Amino acid sequence: MGSPCEVLVDTVHEQPAQAVASAVAACAWRIERKFSRYLDDSVVTRINRDAGTRIEVDDETARLLDFAELAWRVSGGKFDVTSGVLRRAWKFEAGARTPDERAIRELLPYIGWQKVSWHRPWLTLQPGMEIDFGGIGKEYAVDVALAAAAEITPDPVLVNFGGDLAATGPQRDGRAWRVGVEGISSARIPWTLELSGGALATSGDTYRFIDDGGERRPHILDPRSGEPVREAPHSVTVAAANCTEAGMWCTLAMLEGAGAEAFLELEGLRHWIQRGLPGRV
Amino acid sequence: MANDDKRIGGALAAAACGLLGTAAPAISQGAEPKGKWDVDSALLYYGEGDGRVQDLSLTAIGVRDFGDERKLSLDATIDTLTGASPSGAIVADRPQTFTSPSGGGTYTTPAGDIPLDDSFHDTRFALNAGWSQPLGRLFSFNAGLGLSSEYDYQHIGVNAGLTRDFNQRNTTLSMAVAYGKDTVKPVGGIPTPFTQMPDAAGDDDGDDEDQPNRSGSSEDKDVLDVLLGVTQVLGRHSLLRVNYSYSDSSGYLTDPYKILSVVDPLTGEPVVRTPPPGAEGPTGIYLFEHRPDSRRRQSLYGELRQDFSGKVLQLGYRYSTDDWEIDSHTLEGRLRMPLGESSYLEPHLRYYTQTAASFYRYSLADGAALPGFASADARLADLDAYTLGLKYAHQTSGGNEWSARLEFYHQVSKPPSETLIGNQAGNVRMPDFDAVILQFGYHFKL
Repeated sequence: MGSPCEVLVDTVHEQPAQAVASAVAACAWRIERKFSRYLDDSVVTRINRDAGTRIEVDDETARLLDFAELAWRVSGGKFDVTSGVLRRAWKFEAGARTPDERAIRELLPYIGWQKVSWHRPWLTLQPGMEIDFGGIGKEYAVDVALAAAAEITPDPVLVNFGGDLAATGPQRDGRAWRVGVEGISSARIPWTLELSGGALATSGDTYRFIDDGGERRPHILDPRSGEPVREAPHSVTVAAANCTEAGMWCTLAMLEGAGAEAFLELEGLRHWIQRGLPGRV
Repeated sequence: MANDDKRIGGALAAAACGLLGTAAPAISQGAEPKGKWDVDSALLYYGEGDGRVQDLSLTAIGVRDFGDERKLSLDATIDTLTGASPSGAIVADRPQTFTSPSGGGTYTTPAGDIPLDDSFHDTRFALNAGWSQPLGRLFSFNAGLGLSSEYDYQHIGVNAGLTRDFNQRNTTLSMAVAYGKDTVKPVGGIPTPFTQMPDAAGDDDGDDEDQPNRSGSSEDKDVLDVLLGVTQVLGRHSLLRVNYSYSDSSGYLTDPYKILSVVDPLTGEPVVRTPPPGAEGPTGIYLFEHRPDSRRRQSLYGELRQDFSGKVLQLGYRYSTDDWEIDSHTLEGRLRMPLGESSYLEPHLRYYTQTAASFYRYSLADGAALPGFASADARLADLDAYTLGLKYAHQTSGGNEWSARLEFYHQVSKPPSETLIGNQAGNVRMPDFDAVILQFGYHFKL
């Protein structure tokens, strides 16, 4: 998953806890192997390699594509699983330079879900296009892992994959789980949130950003222009019934840039937005 | 999205539940491994009523993907044509005898029947090869070579095209050029235009030079086609394509097997001729047709594809005009309707109408001055054609697809009234026909 994964089981029995831990790990590994774009034999890699030809995808991939399509539609094209090719122009590493506009313009033809033919189970990408489930995959894995854990034990379980987390319910004593959220770089003081069920997801630039002439630009890109979203918050945390939904709200809110707060208010969601002081790091 | 005061929460929450609803994931493999060749094969039967042309054709098209959008395509077709086609001679109320195209014998059409040349049978082979690849980021290039051969006709053609994407690939401009050289080597040689169908020689030694009213054994034709097209994505569910094409044919454009009846200028009845004693030959006067040696055609085609939540409607219209004065309109529609997850049904309707060529004649009047050009080929007449069809296709779980298509074709033509002579207006018979088309297709990976 590219980030630490943990599972907490509030139980007095060691044996089921062990089983939950292995089940959660198995889910994490299975989903990573299946959907990572870095692994040569993943479904995503095969889809991207076969761009230009029609391929049949399995049911789970089809459900992820359906969800991605809906997110694309409701966001007016701002969320787009084909936007990952922009990585070729942007490198989110400390000190990375702004790529030139030409590099971005040359990539734009390969972006846009409207160019994808998706008639379940048949998927055809235009040649040169790629998809990735960044922004969906990890959150989906949290939900699947939590469901697997709930099959094994009736005791409360919390699954946390790199800050995206979900719990089956409050702790056995009825208290909410206390979750630490990493602060922005200028104030590295963790602050805590309470979670008594459902999920929390966070999106932000805590770890990754580029330094563009003094303006810190977080790593959310608008697929329609290829540019990072201006005035995007440093981080957005949203609570929702499940982690997949929470993660999508975070991404959509980031894409709103300056309008992130208003967007989440309108939707009536519990959220925490951090906008740090702009400045050099 | 947030600005138009339209919340999306419900839709997104429902979609997330849909994704997780059957969250116990089936451990199944994803996309099937890709084959080296994508092959489309088809067996097609075309049959006209009343014992006229029947065609059985087998085609295979293979596309090999070499990655990076570089593709090789090869296709091969074998066609077997049998049956008879109208010669251009008009119906008479007595039997008519004609000399066969080879000049070696005669055949007789009964009274009241449309004269058909029944020595029509042929096998045709065609091979095409094409290559396409990107040129830089936005251009794509393709080129091809084609050959076809039948016993009296050879064709060789080359083509090349360039496409360029604009506007985030929502707009594609394309340009293509094709050049073809055809050689016709008719049985019996090239008939001299407007000369009379001769008596049968009786000794079919195959030497065309011996035949009367023949000038050489073969003729050539050059065809240059230019196409300019634009394809525009009009949104996620619709696509518009507009093509302009220009076609310039020059050389031998006459049909060596078509004739015109010479008729009495008062009655409009075919002139009666008696072959010399001891000879077999035509019982009328029939002149070999003569068409201009160039033809320039322009056409404009528009096509709209619209996806109505799974149902795909395709509407097309073509206008074509040429310097033979054949103007045509084609209106065509298809609606692809999914049946379950892996099948679809597609009805097809097509209407075609054209005006007659300026030199089309039903017949020629005896004794009158010959026009510059003349043909009685009904395909050059004022005609309407209707096609009604249905296609069913099914995708197998392995990703292959088979399909069956059944279509009915109905063609009616009428001679322009100014070309009718004497009493012909009351008893014109045009070689109209119905045809049935049946095709089986199978798409697979090799």
